[in-house]
This record gives sequence, structure tokens and C-alpha cells, in this order.
Amino acid sequence: MLRSERKSLRRFLVLYMLLMLGLFALGSLLYYRSQEQVMLLQTKSRLMDYAAEQIRRLKRLHEHFPQQNRYPRDPRFRSAIYDLEYVKIFSTLRDGRVDFLGDIYSVGDVIHYVKILDNYYLGAKYLFVEVPRDRSWQQAVLGRIALAGTVLGILLALLGYSLARLFVRPMRQSIRLLDDFIHDTTHELNTPLSSILANIEMIDPAAMKEGDRRRLERIGVAARTVSTLYEDLKFLTLERHRPVRDERFSLDRLLKERLDYFEVMLRSKQLELRTDIAPVTIRADRRLLARLIDNLLSNAIKYNRRGGRIEVSLRPGSLRIADTGVGIDEEALEQIFERYRRFDSSEGGFGLGLDIVKRIADRYGFVIDIRSRKGEGTEITLSWKAEEE
Amino acid sequence: MRKMVLLFLIGALWGGSFDRNCIPCHRKEGVSLRLTFMNALLIYSGEHNMKAGLKYFLRHPSRETSVMGEEYFRTHRLKAPLTLPERELDEALDEYWERYKVIGRLR
Repeated sequence: MLRSERKSLRRFLVLYMLLMLGLFALGSLLYYRSQEQVMLLQTKSRLMDYAAEQIRRLKRLHEHFPQQNRYPRDPRFRSAIYDLEYVKIFSTLRDGRVDFLGDIYSVGDVIHYVKILDNYYLGAKYLFVEVPRDRSWQQAVLGRIALAGTVLGILLALLGYSLARLFVRPMRQSIRLLDDFIHDTTHELNTPLSSILANIEMIDPAAMKEGDRRRLERIGVAARTVSTLYEDLKFLTLERHRPVRDERFSLDRLLKERLDYFEVMLRSKQLELRTDIAPVTIRADRRLLARLIDNLLSNAIKYNRRGGRIEVSLRPGSLRIADTGVGIDEEALEQIFERYRRFDSSEGGFGLGLDIVKRIADRYGFVIDIRSRKGEGTEITLSWKAEEE
Repeated sequence: MRKMVLLFLIGALWGGSFDRNCIPCHRKEGVSLRLTFMNALLIYSGEHNMKAGLKYFLRHPSRETSVMGEEYFRTHRLKAPLTLPERELDEALDEYWERYKVIGRLR
């Protein structure tokens, strides 16, 4: 699966799961509320009976007040009376947060039932009856929600994954088509390209006229450009599954070799090369690091302006390649490592180079730092832990 | 007996508006102020509501607005409208409420 494909799939799944989670939370809340209402209604009939009993007691107390002044209490419930102006007359409530419009409601750990009296015994218009809240229904409801959440979560995750794969299928097909095309083309490129390069090497430029030598040089530059492209294609399609052979080798020597290889191209574009190469030994697959360096150098040459400059610096733990080329917009930097992504259509290529760089860098844990300004140039620094050397 | 009359006279002369204006009349009519208060409480519930209701009744007495019920009027006549100054009437009602209120007297 490609990185961009994985990214799309991940983004879709995150959005989908967030949406589903939101919907599930809403549904759970509604279910919880409805179950709470059912519980309150079941409790209400009991509390109505308590209220009727308490009213009878209040009536008796009203008739015998003040000779009797003990507020009636009941071990089964607590109660309070308030007058028409919401002034408390007497209360044995544990939770004093009363709602005069509430009918029946939960507050804290208790349930309150409000009864409006027809006759205001002792001046009471509102009688509140309080009982402790029964938590058993809550545990049962939460248990059901958790179970439904788990089952639904698994089902929705599977469904989401299938949907996501369905959505990215057109993209995957296009990419596969392109991959197949490149795969097939790569086979066909190898023989003629090797032949061109071998024949160029065999020609002695000293025996040629000045004009012919320049023409030959141009052919050499073009052949090397195609060769780099061919190596990239081969890496991505044919050698992807080749086992990696890590070994300890001199990175500075490899870098110099690759700079020599690109020397003709540098000269043809009249680029000034400034190098600062310190001896560095590294443990890695030589072939992979050659691809990485080739791609960075190739980009620095390809996107540079004629007569520009390239700076190459190698230090233990870092490799820096800077050019004075076209540069990249800051917003575009995020997508720079996506395969087939090209930022300047004036130059050839498939947009494979930095995808390869990223793969290899990720493999060895190199950190890539890119700084670029449109029209001024690009600076790429690879850094790694010195102990890896 | 002489003592009681003396106390009543002292209350009437030196007591508050309630003692001077309400107690003598209720005593004469044989109507318990406690009973009147508890009946009023049954209808008016809150302090301000009760004071407003009683005030209206005292200024404009009628059987319909009385707190005593039909039974009462078989043996008693409807009282005459009260002409007590506003301030004195308010004072008397405040005292009436404070003396007989239920709030703070339940345990």
C-alpha cells in the first residue's frame, strides 16, 4: 500500500470513527435518559403514595398546631414543605436543591417528587418527597451501552475499513496501472541505455573536433539523466524486494564517486560545485545510499538555474546538499515526498526521486530537513545518530 | 377578674397596633385569632399573600372573601369595614404574622 493511500485510508477511518463515535454517544445519551425516565416513572407511583400519607399527617398537624409541633417523619422517605412564595417552612431533605416545576427529578444521589397541595396545611403549597436514588438500573443500562458499544464498534470499524478500501480503490487502480506501465517500460529501457552509455565511454573525446566533443558531451548528459531515471524505476519496480545487504563502508568515497558521475551534467549546466567532505563511515546498503545521493544530486542539478551553485557538505552524522534553483513553495513542502509528485513541470521525470529518498531515509532512521524558498533554492540536510556510523 | 381587666386595659393602652385594634374586637366577638390565622394560612399560604388577602378583607369584608367559612356566619355577623389608618393596619398584620406564624416553630 502506498504512503498516500495509507494516509487517505487513515484520514477516512479517523473521520468515520469520530462520526460514528459521536452518533453512538448521542444514541447512548438518549437511551440513558429514556431509561432514567422509565425508572423515575416507576418510582413516581410509590412517591405519590408517600405524598398522600404525608399530606394526611400535615392536615392533622395543622389542626393541632401549636399544641403539636413535631413535623411528621417517615423512615421510608424524607420531605419538605414550602409556601406559595417558595419560602421553606420545614425540611428534612438530604439534598436541598429543589425544583418547584420539576414533578419528579433526580438531583445528586436522590430523587425528588413535588406535590402541589390543594389545601395549604401549615401554609404549605409545595410538598417535596425525597428517596435515595436506586443505582441498580444505572449499572444495568451502562452495561447494556458498553456491550452494544463494543459490538457496534467492531462492526462499524469493519464496515468503515471496507468502505475506505472501496473508496481508495480507484486511486489504487490508477497507481497500479502506472506502476505496471513503469515496470514494463523499465525492462525495455535497460538494453539500449547500457549500449548508449558503453559506447560513449569507448569514444576518445581527444580525437574529436571541438563541436563534436560538445555534442558527445550533451549525449552523455542526456544518457546519464535517463540512466538515473532508469535506476529509480528499477529500484521501485524490480529491486524493491531484493534483500538489503548492510555493510560498513566509506560514505565520503561513495559521495565523491557519485559527484564524479554527475560531473558532466554539472559542467553542461555551468554549475559551480562547492564541497566540504569529511571522512565518514556508515553501516548501510551501499546500493541504497547511492540511490539516495543520486536523487538528491540529480534534483539539485535538474532544478538549478544555469550558472548556479551546488554545495555538498558531509560531516559525521549529516549530509547537506543545497542548490540555488527554483525552490518550492512552503505549502507544497508537506507533499514533497509523495510519489509522482512534481513541482516543476519544466523538467522531465516521474516524481519518483524524493519518494525513494524518503523510503531509504526512513529505513535507516535518517531525519530529513528541507528548507526552500521559491526562486532562491533548496537545502536538504539528512542527519543521523553519529553512533550509527 | 379585676386583674385580667387591668392587664387588658394596660395592653390596650400601651401595646402595639395589633393589641389595641385586633384583640379587643376578636375577644368581644369570641373569635379565636389562632383559628383565624390557621384558616387564613390554608388559603393564602405565604406571608405577603396572606397579609394582602387579610388587608383586602378587612377593608372590604364579604362572606366570599372571609376565611371563616359558611358555618361561622350562622352564629356571627359579617364585620364592618375597617377604617384603621394604613400604617397601623400594616403594623397590626405584621405583628399578627409574627405571633402566629408556623415557620420556625416546627421541630
